[in-house]
Amino acid sequence: MVLKPALMLVALLVSLAACEPPGSSDELDSSPLKGSIIETGGERPRFTLSDTDGNPYTFEDETEGLLSFIFFGYTNCPDVCPIHMAMLATVIGRLDPADRGRVRVVFISTDPARDTPEVLRRWLDSFDPGFVGLLGTLDEVNAVAESLLLPPAAVPVNAGESYIVGHAASVLAVTPDGGTRVKYGFGTRHEDWAADLPLLLQWKAQIP
Amino acid sequence: MQWWCSAQGQPWDWTWRPYVGVWLFVALIAAGYVALRRRYPPPEPDNGDGRHRAAYFVTGLILLWAALDWPLGALGASYLASAHVTQFLLAGVIAPGLMLLGIPRGAFGLIERRPTLHAFLGDLTHPVPAFLIFNVGMTVTHWPGVVDAAMVTQAGAFALDMAWVFCGVIFWWPLLAPIPARPGLHPLMKIGYLALNGILIRPPFAMMLFSEYPIYSTYELAPPFPGTNPLHDQQFAGAIMKLGTAWIMGVAAFMIFREWMRTEAAAEDPSVPSGWPI
Repeated sequence: MVLKPALMLVALLVSLAACEPPGSSDELDSSPLKGSIIETGGERPRFTLSDTDGNPYTFEDETEGLLSFIFFGYTNCPDVCPIHMAMLATVIGRLDPADRGRVRVVFISTDPARDTPEVLRRWLDSFDPGFVGLLGTLDEVNAVAESLLLPPAAVPVNAGESYIVGHAASVLAVTPDGGTRVKYGFGTRHEDWAADLPLLLQWKAQIP
Repeated sequence: MQWWCSAQGQPWDWTWRPYVGVWLFVALIAAGYVALRRRYPPPEPDNGDGRHRAAYFVTGLILLWAALDWPLGALGASYLASAHVTQFLLAGVIAPGLMLLGIPRGAFGLIERRPTLHAFLGDLTHPVPAFLIFNVGMTVTHWPGVVDAAMVTQAGAFALDMAWVFCGVIFWWPLLAPIPARPGLHPLMKIGYLALNGILIRPPFAMMLFSEYPIYSTYELAPPFPGTNPLHDQQFAGAIMKLGTAWIMGVAAFMIFREWMRTEAAAEDPSVPSGWPI
């Protein structure tokens, strides 16, 4: 009986553990993936923007046969963008070299005013020099986002030098066959990516 | 305004923030200590015991405050696992020991006059339950699910911090505080108790050191802190915890050994001044 307060304290902490917030796969589907399948049996996305060398980058051609991750963000982003990019760099870096060569991360800037090609290249290099950075006008970028069923970016008007850009917080995975798109929201953890990467590399679209 | 440090999900900046709950908590402990000192003044003639104890208590209280308040409290609650374990070492290991050492000896007579409290503390602070409570408490309060669930609310973060202080007090009690009518531990037993706690590797710390990926979503998904990444920070946290605990236990064991030697020497030769009892 005299240990009751201590036991109550332990019970409180154990019950807190049971309240662990849900992971990223709150949108239940029958796939073994931690991310949410938003389209299957479709075609590889088609769009062209400029890369950080100023050359046109046609997504459909450049990523054929590759597992691709598309993310819309900006280099001054204080939280979601660097977290996603750092995680992808870590988990992709742990794949064996052959698989690593079959993965492409494509970062599309939603802040054309501040993200010059040099700024974007330097920022992406801090995660992985292999990451692709794409640029376009805000209208061009938003047209791509909308074609991928993602919300458009919102840049505040007359905000001066320091401002926050609203943008989609999800990473969109496109499987190597191009037929399946999987969404990974903010909250996806390293271990989720590490579990899904091998599955995504082998993924075949379920064509009815 | 927040009353206690908890995970906020906001980018870190060095703007000072007040945590009124922490101030109130520290002020209550200080007021309680002043009342105890008034009720149980140092014995006359004062051989320095009263000053020493006050110094220990004040140092412990300052360290506890530093652990819970800005910036360490805020960094540990939201951004860095290494700050979190540093908080633990201060609030859950060092401060409780110093504060317990600082309590006037006469105050422990209170326990004898309250049979229920005497029985409660007698059972709780026996070395075996104390060892179990501290180590189970340390493991549970660092378990990823517990940390991630607790740190997102101020009440949860408060509960975690209080659990640390509670476990720390229970841990040190068999070494530093008397239970009337129970013989104190032999110094060799005290050193053994500390050594066992110093070398033990608890599961969460092994996970921090050896996990392939970050184990705490709180720090993994926190806005980046300049110059760190979550995995390296977590490994650093595991190293701080392991080395820090071993160092604290080692220092305490050395002090006990030194006082034991002095006491033995004083027993053999009354002209040798006896050590200040720990």
